[in-house]
Amino acid sequence: MEIVFDKVGDLTVAAVPVEELDASNAGEFKRDVAPLLEANTKLVLDLSRLHFVDSSGLGAFISCLRKLNASGGDIKLCGMSKQVRGVFELVRLHRVFDICATIEEAVHAFGPKDS
Amino acid sequence: MPGRNEPVPPQRPGLDISMSTLRDSIERHARYSQAQPWESLSTRQMFECVSLALRDLLIDRRLETERRYRHADAKQLCYVSIEYLLGRLLANNLSNLGIYDLCRETLRHMGADLDLIEECEPDAALGNGGLGRLAACFLDSLATLDMPSYGYGINYEYGLFRQDIDNGYQKEKPDNWLAFGTPWEIERSGEACLVPLYGRVEDGVDRSGQYNPMWLDWQLLIGVPHDVPVVGYGGRTVNLLRLFSARSSRNFDMQIFNTGDYLRAVEQKIASETISKVLYPSDAVPPGQELRFVQEYFLVACTLRDIVNRYEKAHGTLDAFPTKVAIHLNDTHPALAVAELMRILVDERNLPWGRAWDITQSTMAYTNHTLLSEALEKWPVPLLERVVPRHLQIIYEINQRFLTEVACVWPGDQGRVQRMSIVEEGPSKQVRMAHLSMVGSHSINGVSVLHSRLVQTTLARDFHDLWPDRFSNKTNGVTPRRWLLQANPLLARLIRRTIGEGWITDLDKIRALEPYAGDSAFRQEFLAAKRANKERLARLISETTSVRVDPASLFDVQVKRIHEYKRQLLNVMQIVFEYLRLVEDGVHPAVPRTYIFAGKAAPGYRAAKHIIKVICNVAATINNDQRVKGQLKVVFIPDFRVSLAETVIPGADLSEQISTAGSEASGTGNMKLAMNGALTIGTLDGATIEILEAVGAENIFIFGLTAEQVQAWRNCGTYRPRDLVSGDRRLKRIVDALASDRFCPKEPGLFRSIFESLLDQGDPYFHIADLPAYIDAQDRVAKEFERPPAWVSKAILNVARIGRFSSDRTIREYANDVWGIASVPESSGQG
Repeated sequence: MEIVFDKVGDLTVAAVPVEELDASNAGEFKRDVAPLLEANTKLVLDLSRLHFVDSSGLGAFISCLRKLNASGGDIKLCGMSKQVRGVFELVRLHRVFDICATIEEAVHAFGPKDS
Repeated sequence: MPGRNEPVPPQRPGLDISMSTLRDSIERHARYSQAQPWESLSTRQMFECVSLALRDLLIDRRLETERRYRHADAKQLCYVSIEYLLGRLLANNLSNLGIYDLCRETLRHMGADLDLIEECEPDAALGNGGLGRLAACFLDSLATLDMPSYGYGINYEYGLFRQDIDNGYQKEKPDNWLAFGTPWEIERSGEACLVPLYGRVEDGVDRSGQYNPMWLDWQLLIGVPHDVPVVGYGGRTVNLLRLFSARSSRNFDMQIFNTGDYLRAVEQKIASETISKVLYPSDAVPPGQELRFVQEYFLVACTLRDIVNRYEKAHGTLDAFPTKVAIHLNDTHPALAVAELMRILVDERNLPWGRAWDITQSTMAYTNHTLLSEALEKWPVPLLERVVPRHLQIIYEINQRFLTEVACVWPGDQGRVQRMSIVEEGPSKQVRMAHLSMVGSHSINGVSVLHSRLVQTTLARDFHDLWPDRFSNKTNGVTPRRWLLQANPLLARLIRRTIGEGWITDLDKIRALEPYAGDSAFRQEFLAAKRANKERLARLISETTSVRVDPASLFDVQVKRIHEYKRQLLNVMQIVFEYLRLVEDGVHPAVPRTYIFAGKAAPGYRAAKHIIKVICNVAATINNDQRVKGQLKVVFIPDFRVSLAETVIPGADLSEQISTAGSEASGTGNMKLAMNGALTIGTLDGATIEILEAVGAENIFIFGLTAEQVQAWRNCGTYRPRDLVSGDRRLKRIVDALASDRFCPKEPGLFRSIFESLLDQGDPYFHIADLPAYIDAQDRVAKEFERPPAWVSKAILNVARIGRFSSDRTIREYANDVWGIASVPESSGQG
């Protein structure tokens, strides 16, 4: 899947390009987001297109977080629908991810920009 | 004494609707729901149209009810039950809306017959027996009393099996009650909820470094709510019964589908939807299967999600949750609700454990429905670990905190700690769902005075020692709308004409009938109604069993689930005694008698299915023996269900409530039968004891061991049924006859093992011990029935003194003592 991204200073802002992230496409997402994780340590993921996520989709997000954490980076999620937020809460992942309402809020949450 | 013939204005006039409006609505549904003119519809389609027209009225009333509750910001009850035995709804809804006669007349003008249309409706048999029917009666009472409440359950696609009798053997057939859909349900796809299950819990830390267990790799089910409107008598209040259907989270896996493996693609979808496919056909024998456990979890997860969503929408934070919501656990099937609410509060809403526990305990209440050890649910720990791993962690935490409290109260009492633990240790660890329910609830009750006492002194003695104030009794009740007004229109009409209509919503007022027990004209009318009901029942018996019975004979009725403790065999043994006395000794019974049985045996319960075979074979032998000359008849009516009960119960003269004392939690058939003027022959068990107190000892036939005597026999271990039989000629004759091939000539030896094991394996339900007293009591019954005026007086007094067994009384007690909810009548919601 094609993951469109923007650079905002030293941050990368990328959007999840699908409405459903589940067993059928979570692997593909992990593969296609991997280059962004290699090249960046601060990632904002915009989930505003996403309407449904299952445990495989959550697994993909966790994998992103772990990779970034391992290299001293972080990920912030934003634009979550109520339903997707509900799934995160269901399994306590809302405490693991930093979840922001908007891209701007997520960018701001990373602190002052380097450039 | 007020004049019987003075017209009494109806207390609740019901809906103000004209014949032409109703007709227009029915015809509109013929055109736009069936796409046909009314004249070309089948009776089944007519049923659809009438029901949909009625549903429109119910929806209007529902919206008004909702507005009223919202305006009052009223506390709501959420009644959670794995079973609801609703029966048919059309007649009930018409009757409660107060437009039954109007609808009949409207349909007559449209060339249709309401009776035939009613017969098209399949019973909604989403339950096994008493527990599910109690839940249905409670819904009727809650709506009639204008009490804000939701019922929560599962929308089983297949209800309780349909029972055929083939050569005396029970055959189970699927009951696909939703084959043609149901007009009553309103699907709410927009309110579907997500239910995770399976997977694993991974220990981790959250962003602030705190311990944070994460539930990963789960599968997802979708719970789709279907609302059934429940209208109270008078039509003012319409509550909802919300039933959840399981759907897979996706239609099917497109990736698998695209590779051409269609069957595997739909496999997951089918597996998910199996969860709400079939009602487990037993509430007494734990099936020990994963599906049942998943059903229980599915119900709880959907219910709690729905409750919390609704609450948060109206109130925001969950701090005041217990002041606005009461959750009632109808037996232990929804016990996981304790862990699920804790999970939501702690995991999702970040509440500290102590605060979450206060909220949970203040919200939950639990009713125990059985003392039978085989019906007390325990689930293996590995099963919970696999299906609901996070809930198991929460249960361990609840248990650890609880046992610390126990150890503080009784330092060093390790035995008590082990007995009270939610988790039963041993070679195979199990979670005791009754313990989870009790620990997580602020209120624990039994369902009759005796049963509640036994709960406190035996089953939950340690818990009662710890929290005596949490325990209470709430004797069951039945709704007089379904079980008298609707099921027995002839008697209901006579009562309305005699004492007015107040009893319909305040059953204590039926006591005004008492003086009429001595009024010979009233007795005649009462007798005429009973006779007509018996003729109706005789027709049903002829249609379903091809046996012709005499409506003048004593109709002796035992209708209930088939179970050893309910002792249908005791009845059979007494029948054989009567039969042998007649054909061998030439002693004719004092009155001709028709013994009527009906009931289903759980498919996996071999002993119960054998009992049906015994009844049917004894029936065949007696009914075909020319020497009997119609003095005795025995029938087993197949496929007992609510709609059948509505014909059987009004036609009964005698109500058999003969369970082993201390076994039946309450019984509600005993109440329905007495309410319809049947005299009870019974043991001192369940609510029959309270029926004795209510109707008076002279109007009931009590016999047999008490619960204490049964327990004493069990404790001392000296009960020797074989010795009793050897020492009593009557008993020996009965047992010998039943163990011989006399009643099974074509299948020699068929019954030998049943009756020999009764003697050799200790007769755990004390048939032999109680049989002599039962025979004597039946002789007293026959003598009384010989004197119709006296019998009818007693029957009238049974009806007149049945007031306390209305489910309205039960609901008021729960509302005041347990739930803290109040009526929100029409006038309170204005503004």
